[in-house]
Amino acid sequence: MSGLKLERLNPSVKAATVLTCVVLLSFQYLITLNLAVFIAALLLLMFFSEARWGRLAALLVPALIGAFGLFLMGLYYARAPGDLPAGNDAVLPGLAHVTLMPYAVRAALSRNLTAALQLATRLLAYAGLGLLFSLSTRGEDFVLSLMHQCRLPPKFAYGILAAFNLMPNMARELRNVRTAFAVRNIHAGIFSLKPAFTMLVNSVRWSEAIAMAMESRGFDGSGAGRTYYTVPSVRWYDVAFALACAGLILCGMAFLT
Amino acid sequence: MGPILSMSDVVFRFFEQGKRNVLDHVSLEIEGGGRITLLMGGSGCGKSTLAAVAAGLYPENGGFLEGGTIKLGGIPVAELAPSRRAAFLTEMFQNPDLQFCMDTLRGEMRFCMENIGVPPSEMDGRIRRAAEEMGVAPLLDRPLYTLSGGEKQRSTLACLFVMESRCLLLDEPFANIDRAAAARIVRLLHRVRDGGRSIIVVDHQLDLWLDAADEIIILGEGARVLQRGITRENIGQYVRLFDEQGLFFPEAEEAKTASTRRFSHHRGEDGKPAVQFEGLSVPQGTPGRRGFLGGHTPSGEWLLRDADASFPAGRMTAVLGPSGSGKTTTFLAALSQHPYEGTIRVLGTDIRRMRRRELYRRVGIVFQNPANQFITQNVAEEVRESLRVWEKGLMAAECEARAEEQLEAFGLRPYRRFSPYMLSQGQQRRLAVLSVLAGGQRVLFLDEPTYGQDRRSTDSIMEALRRKVSEEGLTVIFITHDRRLVRAWADKAYLLEDKKLMEAAP
Repeated sequence: MSGLKLERLNPSVKAATVLTCVVLLSFQYLITLNLAVFIAALLLLMFFSEARWGRLAALLVPALIGAFGLFLMGLYYARAPGDLPAGNDAVLPGLAHVTLMPYAVRAALSRNLTAALQLATRLLAYAGLGLLFSLSTRGEDFVLSLMHQCRLPPKFAYGILAAFNLMPNMARELRNVRTAFAVRNIHAGIFSLKPAFTMLVNSVRWSEAIAMAMESRGFDGSGAGRTYYTVPSVRWYDVAFALACAGLILCGMAFLT
Repeated sequence: MGPILSMSDVVFRFFEQGKRNVLDHVSLEIEGGGRITLLMGGSGCGKSTLAAVAAGLYPENGGFLEGGTIKLGGIPVAELAPSRRAAFLTEMFQNPDLQFCMDTLRGEMRFCMENIGVPPSEMDGRIRRAAEEMGVAPLLDRPLYTLSGGEKQRSTLACLFVMESRCLLLDEPFANIDRAAAARIVRLLHRVRDGGRSIIVVDHQLDLWLDAADEIIILGEGARVLQRGITRENIGQYVRLFDEQGLFFPEAEEAKTASTRRFSHHRGEDGKPAVQFEGLSVPQGTPGRRGFLGGHTPSGEWLLRDADASFPAGRMTAVLGPSGSGKTTTFLAALSQHPYEGTIRVLGTDIRRMRRRELYRRVGIVFQNPANQFITQNVAEEVRESLRVWEKGLMAAECEARAEEQLEAFGLRPYRRFSPYMLSQGQQRRLAVLSVLAGGQRVLFLDEPTYGQDRRSTDSIMEALRRKVSEEGLTVIFITHDRRLVRAWADKAYLLEDKKLMEAAP
């Protein structure tokens, strides 16, 4: 079973596949296909990756909220031209009894339902694809793969990794700054930029220090004379995965209409 | 064997148009092959810059090299690409948090070897040997940010070891870690030396190195060599030189103790407790972070269990203990910034009954990294702003005058137009003390007030505090792992170890 994990796929190919799928999906309005993509992505993550279900659920919450918001918006505002404005009493004074029906029900009866569902499910499909990539890919693997498959210069690749690995330190620093400010009787709200500014001033100095530490350990950013412990490569199953994903979506677009 | 490092007549400064040379005609040669050389010098004498210039990191990363030659193993450093330079010399820095590019030690060691072109097939074997030799095998796959300071510095050492360069350069490697962890690293360095590699250390904690160092070199102003060839045997004849340069000398402390004790005379209110702990228990947890609904979710681990303590007013009390024993967290609890059980009283009142603002009017804290506390971009403004925070209606002229007066008293007036970030560490701490006490606080906590400071800077911080204590009756409670500091300055001491807080002899 371990041979069939999403983690084993080449990250660059996986990223390209997800992007292709997103572009393909943007050319169609099929609710069923959107939902199929969303569910397929979830199933793949649940049974063919090491992603924790709890994390998946936590990340799905904002996506679902967003989709619901988009659904409501689509329902109320995205009408096709020529539609009767369902809730506008001023325009249709003679139909006063209709207002006894809840607004949502009237809206749902209109043609907007389809448009709203199209929007909402498309967002879900995008979210599913995004999670499919991000939950099954380690940042480090992705950056290394970009360096080998997409010619990202080592200077940027390792710079990104160093910054990425500094994040826990920055979070801790920000907490310390907040505590220091509180004790000095300076009120900084959650969205106040003051503590962040102090932290950023410090982190500019950090980045210099890290760059010097890397250089003193022989890193010169050029890539010349550099060896690599592992070189991520593209194998047949990467290509097969990419073709299968794109192919299935194209089939869906052709046959689900 | 020829010299591994040779510098002749090196002149270096940070700004090309600047007047002050950080390195002023420095000439220095260090022999290769199995020796430990200790470079000592007062804070700000340019010794860290010297290290970075020797490693070729400056002027590449900033600064201006006016003249002189620097050679590693006989080759001019400018002609060596970083990857080739690493075969001669690698450097370990002061801050353990800022030395890693990857997320685990294993990844970092691979990164180091990739840089210098080690064939991938050899890497696993070299990692295994280095991990065994440096005792870091259990750390290899743990996320680096979860390691303690001492573990991080040992990991850094293992990285330098795995690169097999001929010389290791250590720039104040122990500034952020406790003595036990430092002593362990010194023992590891013995083994590195016995393997035939040279070690150059920049530090001012002589007692850790006295047995290990083959030669001690004293640097003066502009990092110029004042004296070479000091060893354990002949160090007695250089007492005056150490004193002139403001450096710690192993035996100098005894005299110091006597002189400061006499200095501490007390005022009326002293003796009464300023801060009291009654049955205090402090759980582990992230300081300053509260649970989802405002409550705290203890992880089940305790840092401190059922402690009683009393910190007398108008005195200086020290809290000792190894790193990670929970000293800082305990004092965050006393500031209502960390959950606790039991009772904490400040000036007689239970802090649970005080509003935060009232509490912070009475108690202030200076953190280990004072750069975290600054709220403005200007030294004088920093003091004025904190005066205004506490006294809303303060007149501008009066505020100005008071700030000036306080800066003068703390020797910071010449720097009043500087950015706080441009000050030295010692000056930053003194500024932090001033701005924290701007609300007329009666109690001051200090977290490691003198770490990484030479004797002169340590004395100037502690003397400024001592003056506040004896003239204004301030209560000072400082956290440290430096026993010498406690002996010299504390009236009372507590030791926090194994979740217990015990009174100890100062």
